[in-house]
Amino acid sequence: MDYIIQGFKEAINLLISLDREVLLIVSLSIIVSTSATILASLISIPLGVYFGIKKFKGKRLFSRITYTLMSIPSVIVGLVVAIILSRRGPLGYLDLLYTKKAMIIAQTLLVIPLVFGLTFGLTKSRGDVIEKVAFTLGANKWDTIILIIRELKIDILVNIATAFSRAISEVGAVMIVGGNIKGYTRVITTTISMMNSMGDYPMAIALGIILLLISFVIHSIIYSYSQED
Amino acid sequence: MEIKINNLEKYYGNRKVLDIESLIIEKGKITGITGPNGCGKTTLLNIIAGLDKEYIGNITYNGLNLNKEIADKMTIVFQKPYLFKRSVYENIEYPLKVRGIDKESRSKKVLDIVKKLEIEDLIEKKAHLLSGGESQKVALARALVFKPNLLLLDEPTSNIDPDAIEILEREILKFNEETNGTVIIVTHNLEQSKRLGHRIIEM
Repeated sequence: MDYIIQGFKEAINLLISLDREVLLIVSLSIIVSTSATILASLISIPLGVYFGIKKFKGKRLFSRITYTLMSIPSVIVGLVVAIILSRRGPLGYLDLLYTKKAMIIAQTLLVIPLVFGLTFGLTKSRGDVIEKVAFTLGANKWDTIILIIRELKIDILVNIATAFSRAISEVGAVMIVGGNIKGYTRVITTTISMMNSMGDYPMAIALGIILLLISFVIHSIIYSYSQED
Repeated sequence: MEIKINNLEKYYGNRKVLDIESLIIEKGKITGITGPNGCGKTTLLNIIAGLDKEYIGNITYNGLNLNKEIADKMTIVFQKPYLFKRSVYENIEYPLKVRGIDKESRSKKVLDIVKKLEIEDLIEKKAHLLSGGESQKVALARALVFKPNLLLLDEPTSNIDPDAIEILEREILKFNEETNGTVIIVTHNLEQSKRLGHRIIEM
């Protein structure tokens, strides 16, 4: 029990003293996951709305496949990206493996189905009435997509926050494509995993607390924004 | 806009909810459609508006099938209108904005229609927080602002106090007279149909 209490004490010290290594790891985590979430959102939200309101044959099957892909394991995504980016892979010449860019790519691919699926489901259930009104007022397809995004913005923001939480808390993909290189591709989750296997708990606990704090801050911001709206 | 309907049938599952052999809605006239609940009034309106495409039969608009150009010249006000989560001004401005009308003209048209419908005091308010009656007025303003050739109204004065009904009816009549726009109004209220309609169809 003592070592757990000691771990917490040392973790608090690391946070209070603004340990340089901790800051570097946290900032890299935020940069990688934020970039991936923004990229995934830019791609997935308009597409999710488009397919959500579009009536087409096989939409039910499409929905099921989409929802399945939402829970794709991060190690699978990491493995696929690593194979593609490896020296012998189709994009090996770009020399991206074990870089921040590779981590962003992997996390983007990981959260695209999540953002797409959540937006698709949301639009399918609540976009219909907005689409009808938009149509009767003369809006074209693109105007309609923009309008639906604006009308459902709070729910979409919650979806984006969910995607960010998924990105920043995953370990498999960034570990495989980033390699957990100290000061270069080491992020919160890969550090926690590594520290745990080394039995070095203070740093792991400190980073765990930060991870929870990040999630708390983001959801608090969205909650207060939704209350204002 | 003249609308010709031929052999129109609409089914929900095996249940036939609409069966119209032939119907012509005359251009520039106000047609009132009345009838009991469930007789298909709203369904007919949705079909004419192009919102419901799953029907049997043929509908033409000035002799043409429905296309984007025709759809842009008509609009519908629903019984429970959906207003966007923005200001009343932005709601009414929306159909003008999507038609690429410049900001100055948009402002002029919006201010003009809110004055006519006597809703100037609502202009800054969040539209989705309005009462039922206020929402109906804003929805009508949003429909009238771009002067459609065909105005479809589904119980437009339900939830509205008598004074407001008078204003709305006055503006519907004025719209018809000034623009020669065709109006189809679905209502339970036979008196209202008689007051407004050049022709009344009982379903």
